[in-house]
Amino acid sequence: MDRAWEADPPDVSSARSTGTLQVRPLSDRTGWQAAGEVSLATRIAWERTLDRLALEDVEVCHLELSAVTFVDVAGVSALAVAAQGLPEGRRIMIEQPPAAMGRVLDMFWPGLRGVEVVAR
Amino acid sequence: MTAPSTELFVHPALFYRGEEEYVDGTVPFIREGLAAGEPVAVAVPGPKLDILRSALGDAATDVRFIDMTQAGRNPGRIIPKVLRVFADAHPTSRVRIIGEPIWPDRSGVEYPACVQHEALINSAFEGRDATILCPYDEAGLSEQALTDAYATHPVVISEGRQRNSPSYAPERVVERYNEPLPIAEAAEGYAFGADELPAARYFVAERATRFGLSGVRLDDLALVVAELTTNSVVHGGGTGTVYVWAENGQVVCEVRDGGQLKDPLAGRRPSPPAQVGGRGLLLVNYLTDLVRVHTGPDGTVIRCYVDC
Repeated sequence: MDRAWEADPPDVSSARSTGTLQVRPLSDRTGWQAAGEVSLATRIAWERTLDRLALEDVEVCHLELSAVTFVDVAGVSALAVAAQGLPEGRRIMIEQPPAAMGRVLDMFWPGLRGVEVVAR
Repeated sequence: MTAPSTELFVHPALFYRGEEEYVDGTVPFIREGLAAGEPVAVAVPGPKLDILRSALGDAATDVRFIDMTQAGRNPGRIIPKVLRVFADAHPTSRVRIIGEPIWPDRSGVEYPACVQHEALINSAFEGRDATILCPYDEAGLSEQALTDAYATHPVVISEGRQRNSPSYAPERVVERYNEPLPIAEAAEGYAFGADELPAARYFVAERATRFGLSGVRLDDLALVVAELTTNSVVHGGGTGTVYVWAENGQVVCEVRDGGQLKDPLAGRRPSPPAQVGGRGLLLVNYLTDLVRVHTGPDGTVIRCYVDC
């Protein structure tokens, strides 16, 4: 478990009732952690997070999603587009996403370079 | 005698009675394709696959076999996930496919979606270098299904003779089976706008859980509801109502809104990886066991069936 959450756990219950997304930088590696849902209401925040990830000047960027309860197809699509735009040799490591996210990636972007999924 | 067609795409219906006629109508078609160096796929119900494998002998190793009762369980995904995926994998050569999407066990609820699928193959493959042969079981299918096959196929093969169909009219078939879908008596509804999209999803998930859906299937239904309700908000007038109920061991979920679906091939075109949006209805077709649609100037109903 990431220590940042222990100090200040994400309020997933309120995210569930309002369909919100909270995002903040990871404390121990380059990247971001998110809590809540990725859907129409939170798409802009999600896409902004992906834009920031793409700008990081490191080989591997982390996106920790253990407290994300839902990602819609447009959210997965935005991730795939971001990954396809990464320079050669760079990748986004998606950590503990909702299981459906991996299935949607496999369904529409099989063998996508630039994304590595570490399952829950 | 009719003038030879200049259309690259050939889409005959093959009427057969019994195993012998089935083999006589399909195996030479497969062998001709293989001899011409054309990639060949056979997407038919499981027991028919066994018949064709054994009739083909060693040649079977060069054919791609697909159980249509699985891959084509939802007829709405046959074009993108069975037919186009095979044709697109061979962009430089003519392909041959045997596709049998309608069999006697298809239910009355499934049938309209099956016929619409058959009709839409024609526009989905217009100009494509392909032959798709569709066997029809004359002994097991209804008179209506056989009549409809004449309307959905430009060419019909019966008792070994091929002729142009006198009643070919695929657009009319799509329209005729655009049947009204009245609200089910058992349905529970939830009206939504942009602010209620998550709540609409929880509403369906909670009831689907109660009806016995769980695990991956429940996650899939949540994705489906998100796509349909978001479509209503973005393209269907901004609001809609989602309904859910249980029926014959399935969870049924439908979204009604004020929009009109103008593109009959929506949700049936495979999505290239670089395409940003437009996967919503495709996903709905991939993840559900049946999709029925009624659309017109007064609004659209998209009804999805998911096996528990």
